[in-house]
Amino acid sequence: MITEKHEARGACAGENMNTSIISIRHLCKEFLNVTPLKDVSVEIKKGEVISIIGPSGTGKSTLLRCINLLETPTKGEIVVDGVVTTDKKCKVNLVRQKMGMVFQSFNLFAHKTIIENIMMGQVDLLKRNRQEAYDKGMELLRNIGLADKAFSYPDELSGGQKQRAAIARTVAMEPEIILFDEPTSALDPTMVGEVLSVIRGLAGQGMTMMIVTHEMKFARDVSTRIFYMDQGEIYEDGTPEQIFEHPKRERTRIFIRQLKVLHVEKISRDFDFPAFMTRLEEFGRKQQFSQRQIYAMQLVVEEVLMQKLLPAAGEAEERDLSLDVEYSERENLAQMRFSYNGPSFYPFGEEEDLSGRMIKGMSKAMEHKFVDGMNHFIISI
Amino acid sequence: MKITKTQNGNSLYLALEGRLDTNTAPELEASIKGSIDGVEELTINMESLDYLSSAGLRVLLGAQKIMNKQGSMRVTHVNDTIMEIFEVTGFADILTIEKA
Repeated sequence: MITEKHEARGACAGENMNTSIISIRHLCKEFLNVTPLKDVSVEIKKGEVISIIGPSGTGKSTLLRCINLLETPTKGEIVVDGVVTTDKKCKVNLVRQKMGMVFQSFNLFAHKTIIENIMMGQVDLLKRNRQEAYDKGMELLRNIGLADKAFSYPDELSGGQKQRAAIARTVAMEPEIILFDEPTSALDPTMVGEVLSVIRGLAGQGMTMMIVTHEMKFARDVSTRIFYMDQGEIYEDGTPEQIFEHPKRERTRIFIRQLKVLHVEKISRDFDFPAFMTRLEEFGRKQQFSQRQIYAMQLVVEEVLMQKLLPAAGEAEERDLSLDVEYSERENLAQMRFSYNGPSFYPFGEEEDLSGRMIKGMSKAMEHKFVDGMNHFIISI
Repeated sequence: MKITKTQNGNSLYLALEGRLDTNTAPELEASIKGSIDGVEELTINMESLDYLSSAGLRVLLGAQKIMNKQGSMRVTHVNDTIMEIFEVTGFADILTIEKA
């Protein structure tokens, strides 16, 4: 096995002096009707934790799949730890041993127990004996709190547990790089946290990782570097601070702003209140708000809109009512701004009613401004 | 919201599940009004209630007023978030509450 590995390196190497663990040069992937990757060139160093963010359909997953050779690039070169993987003579399986991949849909074998799933690759590819593979598997399962599920079948586990087991299976192969393709997208929101915490643990151990994710707070906390991908290229590459706080380029700025702000306009009496409550909850979860913050946001929307602003608007025509919810990470504050035209109107008048008491009790600050014919009522939670 | 109603002689037991808000409060109000005649003990179990807004509080207050005349009312299995709502609105002093 080891000899083969050397042969593979010899067969298509020539890049051993490179300090990067992955070098990508002018990578292009074209399908019949679409070009998910136009021209990607980037160097990835050992120990970097890179989150790849960006709108859907901009080549994020295709980039990972090309790196792992699940897709054959149309043009360009990929070098992984000195091996030119895009070379036709390159032994794909040997390259894949350096790289683990965790998929959105777990990809565990349903007819094998969790421990068997974790042992398989170790026995077949790393040639470990069954006892060694078992010991390694159990150690990893213990680390992530799943030792008691070792002899369960995947179908007996929750989504979060399955994904944690899939990560343990990848780690058991002792890869140098782990690629995560939207590891939490298929999970119920309540299970996202347990999976992210396992990935966070790996990042803390110095593993080189590339993570395609929509979990922005996680990306920000755990990564050393962020790729913002848009229209088939790495449109902006920087530290989490640069990308999330001071994005330089236009499309990055728009994307980042949309993440932080929930904007609804033209709110009328026909407003779909239950659907909006669900949207608020999703927005809050994405920002990793506490359950209480989410509750308080929903309460503010219900009390201010349903009890005050919409009834007060009556039959008035030309009512212009909008809401922006914005999260300030620095202050851990959700700010809700109701903007509405008409005469100056403070929803909670002198006499404090039930809605007013609730909102005051659940919020940190309230402010009402009337500027140029527009009311701005701002509540901080 | 799901309301499970159990009537036993002059005791009425309501278990609430989900969200008690502007949309669902009329449902609870109708349910209470339809069964409260002659009830001396009203118990409202909030174990599976996730959310409560002022519209829900008004229904609870209405029920409390009726029960003040004909018996007693208890609100049970109240979680921390809903307890906070009862506290900031002063309802903690009006209702008989048993925490979860």
